[in-house]
Amino acid sequence: MVRVTGNFQSESPLHPKAFEVLHAAFESGWANPAKLSQFGAQARHLKNNALESIGAALSIAAETIVPISPTSLGYFLGIQGLLANSSTLIHGSTDRKDVFAISQKIAHHLLHSGLDGKLHSDKTKFTSSVLALHIANAETGVLQDCQQIVTDVNPDYIFLDATTSGVRIPLMDQFSSALFDSQSWYGPSGVGFLVVKNPSEWSNPLPHINAAHPNLDVSLPLVLASAVAIENFSAEVEGANIQAREFNRQLRSAFSQLADVDIAGSLEASLPHMLSASFLNCNGEELLREIQNDGYSVDSGSACTSDNLEPSHVLAAMGVLTHGNIRITIHPHTTQSEIDGLIASVIKNVDRQRS
Amino acid sequence: MIEIDARGLRCPQPIIELGKKISTMNTGDEVTLLSDDPATDPDLSAWSRMTGNTYKKISESVFLVTKLSER
Repeated sequence: MVRVTGNFQSESPLHPKAFEVLHAAFESGWANPAKLSQFGAQARHLKNNALESIGAALSIAAETIVPISPTSLGYFLGIQGLLANSSTLIHGSTDRKDVFAISQKIAHHLLHSGLDGKLHSDKTKFTSSVLALHIANAETGVLQDCQQIVTDVNPDYIFLDATTSGVRIPLMDQFSSALFDSQSWYGPSGVGFLVVKNPSEWSNPLPHINAAHPNLDVSLPLVLASAVAIENFSAEVEGANIQAREFNRQLRSAFSQLADVDIAGSLEASLPHMLSASFLNCNGEELLREIQNDGYSVDSGSACTSDNLEPSHVLAAMGVLTHGNIRITIHPHTTQSEIDGLIASVIKNVDRQRS
Repeated sequence: MIEIDARGLRCPQPIIELGKKISTMNTGDEVTLLSDDPATDPDLSAWSRMTGNTYKKISESVFLVTKLSER
């Protein structure tokens, strides 16, 4: 099979075990789990087992988990479902654009980021508030001090964005809704899991006839593959984190030897498999292409690499250099020789651009 | 007053042009940078921190940069 995900890009390859299940599941074809047939019951049983597995891996009750597709829909469902007419939405300046899309039309309050990527919580009081908080940043991997922010902000309801942290960071107890992305544990892309902890705090913002749990009819094979991926990755994650942290340390140490490098956030305060580095006076798009020519695919937050020619709002909010940026994601099967090759390629191409 | 007209140039070109010009200037000198690239404002903030110089945003596309360091 030809690999279509880059070796150091954020899009992750499907876990091999999840691929096996996906293949078998699509081959068999599955009935609608909502139907009252023998096959419907079998499908329902499989779906419930899958949600039990996902719940067990995340230490969350299975009955609170709703599969959704696409994952980005979960921002609307998770946040809008907690908002009342009088609510103020409090969120970070480094949140995903999906959160900004919701806040731009309603009363909102922004938590600003420091140079280290940590959000500064303040104690502004609102009559009614919902806090949307990402556990780890999607571009830099910087982890937020969630408990401290919740204590300072003291919101009525909390939406946790766990799409990047996934199974790597446990959810804190205090939250109302949360969102996970199957890709974060090497499951299929386009599948998310919304967690609604207490149904009395949340109302379905989509048009609906009865107020029961939303059923979004997510493809059953994708839900099964997500469950198999999380079961397998949960068993590997500790080792993967140790390996990624060592590779990340090597990358940061090598890049720091170059002059004028801006690395977003420290390794100690970030997820171990993510790194965002900007090189002064370099062109992000050219850097990306030159590194690609050496066989390594990375992402970039530079304006020249985005559709709308705007620089990464995350880097801008942190005050980190936005041009000459590359983002690197270390996957469980990344090898030492790939890391060595990537380091050599980055140094060579940064030097060439600056000369 | 020294001026760099980088309007129409995309990142990182405005910052590269600024770096070239500032290396020829004396400490305390000022330069006006004209740039309509959306990355210039955030990048001037990072550049100032990295090089030890300073800047003030005069308007959406006008920045007054003061040389404070040797680079």
